[in-house]
Amino acid sequence: MPLMLLLFGCGEAAPDQGDAGSGTATEQTMESEGMMPARRQKAFKKIFFAVPSPIETAMLLERSGIRFDAEALNEVEKATGYATTESQAVNLGIYAGDLSYSVIFNQNQQSVDYLNTCRRLCDGLGVGDIISADLIARADNNRDVRDSLVSIVTETFYELNGRFSENGMEEVSGLMAAGGWIEGVYLGTRRLDTATEDLKLRIAEQKMTLENLLGLVDSYAPTEALTNMKEALREIETAFAGVRITENDAASTAEEDGTVVISGGPMVEYDQATLTAISESVAKIRNQYAQ
Amino acid sequence: MTAIRKYSLAAFSLLMVLFSASETAAQCRTFTKKRCLPQLEEYVQNDNYNTAVLIPGDEAELELTFFGDRAYRLLICGHPVLGDLTFQVLDSRGNGIYDSSDKESNHFDFRVANTQQMTVRVQVPETDAVIQHEGCVSIMVGSKG
Repeated sequence: MPLMLLLFGCGEAAPDQGDAGSGTATEQTMESEGMMPARRQKAFKKIFFAVPSPIETAMLLERSGIRFDAEALNEVEKATGYATTESQAVNLGIYAGDLSYSVIFNQNQQSVDYLNTCRRLCDGLGVGDIISADLIARADNNRDVRDSLVSIVTETFYELNGRFSENGMEEVSGLMAAGGWIEGVYLGTRRLDTATEDLKLRIAEQKMTLENLLGLVDSYAPTEALTNMKEALREIETAFAGVRITENDAASTAEEDGTVVISGGPMVEYDQATLTAISESVAKIRNQYAQ
Repeated sequence: MTAIRKYSLAAFSLLMVLFSASETAAQCRTFTKKRCLPQLEEYVQNDNYNTAVLIPGDEAELELTFFGDRAYRLLICGHPVLGDLTFQVLDSRGNGIYDSSDKESNHFDFRVANTQQMTVRVQVPETDAVIQHEGCVSIMVGSKG
């Protein structure tokens, strides 16, 4: 009987949708998506950890006055050499970082090349259909329109993360997120000698996102590859130890020009030696995975 | 009932449960794409997939860092079958910054003056319904500026 209910539930329309009665067949099908009779009775708490997306990090780097450095990117030719799931997943994240960086800095041909490279690794991971030939063609046709490329990249990687979650590929998801984070910090720390104060602060603030990333990796069932990654991230965390984060007054909200602004937040302090240690530590780990 | 029939039935039931779980997950991705993503409007989505299948009484939490001087939209998008979801934003010390309980919007637009870690807490309301439903809940973050 529960089994019958369960099967019956898949086709049910959501109740109390207002216009449900007048909707078309397609609309009614859409209403039923994402719901069914509950398969458990006991409530629980689900905890997520989010890290900045590679596009978000690239935007921060651009706003901080960094200059595009093509030599810092991981060569696309290396992609064929990544044969294990671990190396494909981490380097998919690294290439996602390079792709985002190229898009944000209007490196149009490079952006399409990196999207193609991501496609190659997705093929190896069994999710090649997400970056289809049509998607590559769409990116190619919009190569001069940055906003379109940003949408294509964010939608694609959201789809990928959704598919990984759906298919129980948490290990791949965690490794890709870590690869993307590592590449973002790597790209941000290549020219520390000419870095603006804003960029230096952004690098130091990554101590907070590293904490979120470690929470994310820890939230997945441990595997050898995730344990290796966690150890690598702990090494980077040690380099961030010189960043002091001091809690200020409790955050409060105020309206400014119609927007809610949350004030407060911590004070972040660092010195040049700490930034150098972060740069060296991240480069070491990144180059180990990208070799 | 013979042992073979019992095992066959158990195996079939297990397969159906696994199939339905996978089917719901796939439906969640479609639901989120069609119903939630458009609500981010001009905000660039963060590509993290913070979506879960929840039931009445469940809670979900998202731990993340918001960067100073960027504008954010925090969007809580749930299947209508779950009722009106409520959410709170807490600072790193657990102090409440925002509570949706007395508001009608499913999103919160804001800026942070300084980069800070925050927690987003979402509640699915309890229900007296005889047959409880589960549905997708997605915590989405978009940024701009």
